[in-house]
Amino acid sequence: MKAKPSLRPEDAGDRPPFGRSWGVLYVGVLLNLALLVVLFSLFSKAFR
Amino acid sequence: MKTADWLILAATLTFIVVYGTWRTRRQRDMNSFVLAGRSLPWWMVALSVMATQASAITFLSVPGQAFADGLRFVQFYFGLPLAMVVLCITVVPIYHRLKVLTAYEYLERRFDAKTRALAAGLFLVQRGLATGLTIYAPAVVLSVLLDWPVSVTTAGVGLLVVVYTATGGSKAVSVTQLQQMLVILAGMGLALVAILRLLPAGVSFSEAVAVAGVSGKLNAVDFSFDLSNRYNFWSGLIGGFFLALSYFGTDQSQVGRHLSGRSVTESRLGLLFNGLAKVPMQFLILFVGVMVFVVFLFVAPPVHFNPVETRRLASGPLSAEYARGEADHRAAVDERREAVGRFLAARRSNEPSAVQVAREEIRAAGGRYDAVRERVAALVRKSNPLSDGRDTNYVFLRFVLEHLPTGLVGLILAAVFSAAMSSASAELTALASTTVVDGYKRFVCPDGSDAHYVAMSRWATVLWGLVAVAFAQFASRLGTLVEAVNVLGSLFYGTILGIFLVAFYAKRVAGTAVFAAAVASEAAVLLLFAFTRISFLWFNVVGCLLVVALSMALQAWKGEAAGRSVEPAA
Repeated sequence: MKAKPSLRPEDAGDRPPFGRSWGVLYVGVLLNLALLVVLFSLFSKAFR
Repeated sequence: MKTADWLILAATLTFIVVYGTWRTRRQRDMNSFVLAGRSLPWWMVALSVMATQASAITFLSVPGQAFADGLRFVQFYFGLPLAMVVLCITVVPIYHRLKVLTAYEYLERRFDAKTRALAAGLFLVQRGLATGLTIYAPAVVLSVLLDWPVSVTTAGVGLLVVVYTATGGSKAVSVTQLQQMLVILAGMGLALVAILRLLPAGVSFSEAVAVAGVSGKLNAVDFSFDLSNRYNFWSGLIGGFFLALSYFGTDQSQVGRHLSGRSVTESRLGLLFNGLAKVPMQFLILFVGVMVFVVFLFVAPPVHFNPVETRRLASGPLSAEYARGEADHRAAVDERREAVGRFLAARRSNEPSAVQVAREEIRAAGGRYDAVRERVAALVRKSNPLSDGRDTNYVFLRFVLEHLPTGLVGLILAAVFSAAMSSASAELTALASTTVVDGYKRFVCPDGSDAHYVAMSRWATVLWGLVAVAFAQFASRLGTLVEAVNVLGSLFYGTILGIFLVAFYAKRVAGTAVFAAAVASEAAVLLLFAFTRISFLWFNVVGCLLVVALSMALQAWKGEAAGRSVEPAA
């Protein structure tokens, strides 16, 4: 039987050190992008 | 430049070089040379990734880009956060589990040696040339400061970066990136404050922003879809996504950075932080360029920002035409300043019709000002056929040297040079490690000692430094550096990304099919670049999709189910 590569303790639970899960952090990054696009868009329109 | 600025510049750079070299003096094996011993915490991975991408080009060329073209370049980065998320889910765990030194090692395990060699070769060509542009940017600064030919300063900067990289390797890059990013962020933040203080008395920040908006410089988001428009929301989100996916997922200069994280978690967090911070950071740098534009509405700018070219024009056979250009430029600057004054007066007295009239006057005066500058650019091209006549790379530098206070000039130039050192040394490390791991060790000397490969990596660093310096001699013909470096990358990134996507997700496709598809796709991208007006960001999409589609079609035609699986047990 092939030995599995050992994982470091940080990876074992596949949980980030903050935020409930990686999915939450990913959604946070994407929401941040969406917010920036909206803000930039409003900024452009306000000073056109 | 004053003595105090020289002292600040020299002290900052000396500290970074000495500290980096001292901290890494015991580096002996390939893992530590290439991947910093896979020991970095997430915040150092993040700094490392950001500092590698933020080259001197970012700090010289991006404000100049905004000066000429407004904020719209920020859309180029819209695909980056999305790419960071996708990479965290897919590529990062795979690379960590396989414990590869370079991204291309994975391709041989999955396909075959020729596919690994092709991807590594495409990377080496692209990154070797791009490093030339990275080295050229600080050389421009030195050329202006010392009044030396840019060819000489390019060689000098190249030598400095090669020595720094060859003696310290990747870890020297990483351990000083905190200091480098601090210098960079402090320099840009203080520059913005100093620029706002240069606005005439009575002109507020909101008025400065309003003038920038009327002049068409606050065009941050454009939702129209146009393949020939370089920067709009769609090209940035889709093309930028493919470009960022390829740059951060397959370009060894970045893969080496995030693989230096001590675990999957640290690498992921580093990339996610980049996804959060990159867009606002670029917006800030572009905004600095827009504010420089506004200051030059009130303070007369030079007719052309490259002093070497204007001196050549003033003393050459085209001096009479140049003098006429300068006179017309003075008139255009005065006309534009008066229009801005009327706009601000109308705005303060809250007269909408007068505001509208003044708005049109500013646009008309701006058009005449641009026409005069274009005429002078044509004279520059005529007097120096090696130049493309554009001066965007010189705008911010000239502004810093002539308008910012003593001390801040030294700090900003230190930011430019430290950015150049971090990105150029990371790029040279990546070129050297790919040359040795994917070329020398794989095909020439598979049984050498680790010490031997580290020594060969140092020689490869010197070799690629020479290639970069040679290509940098042509950089003055390539226009805005930040665009040139991304156009160059986009010619190759799509194909490389396509190879990796097939490797990850098309398990039935084997090496020969993907190799043939990649060669055909690269040829197609180069033909599109040469013969169409499609914006360069779309080449990343086209190249990638062509590799995926062609390789699957070829494999289906061959009728063999042959892909090798290398996904380790998790």
